[in-house]
Amino acid sequence: MLKTSASFVLGSSKSSTYPRGYASGFDSPVALLDSRFEHPVLWKASVFLLVAVLSQSWLPVFAQTAETKKALSPPQDVRVFDTPSDGGGSLTVLWAPASDDSAAVKYQILLSEGPTPPDPAAMKVVAEFPANQRYVRESKWPWWTRPTTGDQHQFALRNGKGVELKNGTTYFVTVAKVSGDNRALATPVQATPEPNWINWNQMNNLLLALLFGGIVFYAIGTARKREIFLRRIPGLDAVDEAIGRATELGKPILYMTGAHDMSDPSTIAAAVILGRVAKRAAAYGTDLLVPHREPITMAVCQEITKQAYLEAGKPDLYKDDSNFFITSDQFSYTAAVDGIMLRKKPAANFFMGHYFAEALLLTETGASTGAIQIAGTDADHQLPFFVTTCDYTLIGEELYAASAYLSREPVQVGTLRGQDIGKALILGVLGIGTILATLGVMLDAQWPHIFLDVFKDVK
Amino acid sequence: MNFFRRQVPLLITLITGIVFAAQYYVPHPASEQMLTSVTKWLQIIGGFALVLGVSSLFHVHAVKIRRKEVGWGYSFVLYVGMLGTIAVGLWSNGKEAIDGTMTAFGWVYNFMMVPLQGTMFAILAFFIASAAYRSFRARSREAAVLLIAAVIVMMGRVPLGEYLIPISGDLSQWILNVLNASVRRAILIGVSLGTVALSIKIIFGMERSYLGGGKE
Amino acid sequence: MTFTERMLKIDRRIIFLVIGLCTLLPLLYPVGLPIKISPEVRGVYDHIESLPEGSVFLLSLDFDPASKPELHPQAISLLRHAFRKNLRVIAMTLWVSGTGMADQVVTQVAREMGKDSGKDYVFLGWSPGGTAVIINMGQDLYGAFPADYSGKPTKGLSVLQGVASLRDVNYAVSLGAGNPGVEAWYVFGKDKYKFELGGGCTGVMAPGLYPLLRSGQINGLIGGLRGAAEYEILIDQKGKAVAGMDAQSATHLAIIVLVIMCNLFYFSSRNRARQQGG
Repeated sequence: MLKTSASFVLGSSKSSTYPRGYASGFDSPVALLDSRFEHPVLWKASVFLLVAVLSQSWLPVFAQTAETKKALSPPQDVRVFDTPSDGGGSLTVLWAPASDDSAAVKYQILLSEGPTPPDPAAMKVVAEFPANQRYVRESKWPWWTRPTTGDQHQFALRNGKGVELKNGTTYFVTVAKVSGDNRALATPVQATPEPNWINWNQMNNLLLALLFGGIVFYAIGTARKREIFLRRIPGLDAVDEAIGRATELGKPILYMTGAHDMSDPSTIAAAVILGRVAKRAAAYGTDLLVPHREPITMAVCQEITKQAYLEAGKPDLYKDDSNFFITSDQFSYTAAVDGIMLRKKPAANFFMGHYFAEALLLTETGASTGAIQIAGTDADHQLPFFVTTCDYTLIGEELYAASAYLSREPVQVGTLRGQDIGKALILGVLGIGTILATLGVMLDAQWPHIFLDVFKDVK
Repeated sequence: MNFFRRQVPLLITLITGIVFAAQYYVPHPASEQMLTSVTKWLQIIGGFALVLGVSSLFHVHAVKIRRKEVGWGYSFVLYVGMLGTIAVGLWSNGKEAIDGTMTAFGWVYNFMMVPLQGTMFAILAFFIASAAYRSFRARSREAAVLLIAAVIVMMGRVPLGEYLIPISGDLSQWILNVLNASVRRAILIGVSLGTVALSIKIIFGMERSYLGGGKE
Repeated sequence: MTFTERMLKIDRRIIFLVIGLCTLLPLLYPVGLPIKISPEVRGVYDHIESLPEGSVFLLSLDFDPASKPELHPQAISLLRHAFRKNLRVIAMTLWVSGTGMADQVVTQVAREMGKDSGKDYVFLGWSPGGTAVIINMGQDLYGAFPADYSGKPTKGLSVLQGVASLRDVNYAVSLGAGNPGVEAWYVFGKDKYKFELGGGCTGVMAPGLYPLLRSGQINGLIGGLRGAAEYEILIDQKGKAVAGMDAQSATHLAIIVLVIMCNLFYFSSRNRARQQGG
């Protein structure tokens, strides 16, 4: 291609012989190039190619320079308002996403106090974060209170950590976009934090609570009008058997109502079952011992026992001190009852109510005396001990069901029915919710949240 | 008289029950302030309940001593212990130690109460073993499953078990995190529904046993 | 009575003796087996590790002397960790019978770590009301505890600077042996006042708290003596919990052997009864 060994550099590493130029005596560089190439069109093509390559390699540099010199657009559609459903001291800022939101770009939230629009330069920066964060979809708004679509940016200004927002005071808030040395501010927007009277985020909770209450009332109403079927609790058959055994052996019955006071459902259930046990004990003429940890429970159980003896037609057999108070201290009570078990050797022990660590101490001592033992508790952490040491155990709600089964009072039976309906609803929600949540993830869809949010606990 | 023993408490329960159920949904500071005031009252009443417990104890055992019933000597010991601890506690201003030096009250607490309570709790370890020996028998399929799960968890929760059977640690974690957690949740849901239902009945006066007495 | 029948009806005191020896001998002659760290305990540790210096750490020692063997080592480890991280420690208790013990453990560890009361930590003591105390602290800490356990007014203490209520607490851990305990702190504390919560409890209660752990309501759980031993390993200060693990290992193994033996005797006697009946 070249007349001589020399070649012009066209982006290659080959050495070149610079043209001697005008000093060499040629008329022009063109003439020089003509002399060097066999075909003049070749050098023209080479030069053209060289220029094209060089201009390409330089282009990004020029483009970058152009880009950096382009001004940042300020955040668009900035809205600031009092955060709804809270106790005050908070403002929510929303603004539209931008196409250039990335980790390299940052958003700043600026705040100033006062009724007049401030100088943006004087506003205090209270938060800064990468521009690809803080979206409405990441926050906990349920669909009925969500202020805007999930793709919008959101930031909640709250009291604390360098920010103080007083209720009733006007503040100006704006959002700035920062990239390197460039900064673009949106127009400041005015808002006033105020406390709210209703937490709309928790309306689902209220509605569900009212629904459940309505179901319970409906069930109680139904129970008052007709008989509602309750399945037989196996442990209850054993109650009669245990009382019968105690009568045969001529030994007393020991009955405990648990560690909690009368406001606990387990203690109420225990007191109801005591009425049934006391009635049978009265009918058979068996001694009944009921040691208590709580004076008010003792007073209630005394009345229940007295009533039971009256209904059994044996008021003369009733002893006032069959219900007696020992102490409220856990292990002192346990030691005292263990002593009663070892001395009096009751033939039947009933452990009804809520128990803590004393459960095994009581039941194991009772087992060592050879008594038949029946337990009923909603204390799930003590259930393993009751199950291993007692002949029969009523687990959790079986205790509540037992009291309803024995008393057959419409209120008790209806409540049980209402709880069962509530549980069936929860089961249904769990099943449907699991399917919908799975579909939502698989299809990357938001519509399952219409159902799921209703059962979510949002604060 | 019945009005003050029955109707007034029921009315108070109804009003306060509804107000404080609604309070949960009201975030306004006035609502929070109301809750704070009421909880302060609860704390005051809680203090009175302590006094009530002690006075009940005094009364019950005083009757036993006066009538010289069976075991009245133990009631006398209880009186001495209780009065002695109260006297010592008042003398030490309720403090177990002052400037690093143990007080008499601290001595009673550290050398009587702590060992006694610890002893009672420690008996559980022995009772668990004897109960397990007596009852952990594979009488049925369910009992066998219970037994196997118990052995795996017992092995997995101690270093020796994990050393002898390395997989027992992971298995016991799985049993606790998956099987146990799901079953506990089920029991918790059931018990919670029961508690809510009972609370509704108490608020609306359908359940009155907490007031004392039997049927009306 | 055959041998198997005698073994099935064995005197409980022999079992008690076996358990007693299995507890005593490893304490006298420790073995020191390795202890694997569980994710539940690591959750509490990692969170405290992540807290910057000066953060507010609330430790509620909700247990009485009966639960001391399991929860006392947990308290010591947590306090050592918190003091080592130079956190501001607020200690308290919701159980009146545990007040003296709580005061002792806080004072002992603080002295060991060279921390000053009022400046680095405060022990608030006990206040009646149980869960009502938590609610009151959530509104106004100084109203719930106007003075600390030694009688010093809480307002003005440098350790409580900037702490007006539970909302200002960075991390709370409740070491609970019953009620009120971890669940009460969640329901009346974290749920309302939005602080991060961890839990510690006795071994018996631990399975019951797994639903709270799995759902993220508590971010970690130190269960029983094993949990305390794991925490001691994590903070690299072995104490009574690690020492107790050998005894616990031996006891668990003894119970398992007893249960297996009991089942062997049971099946043997059942087969004999079937053969005699058949």
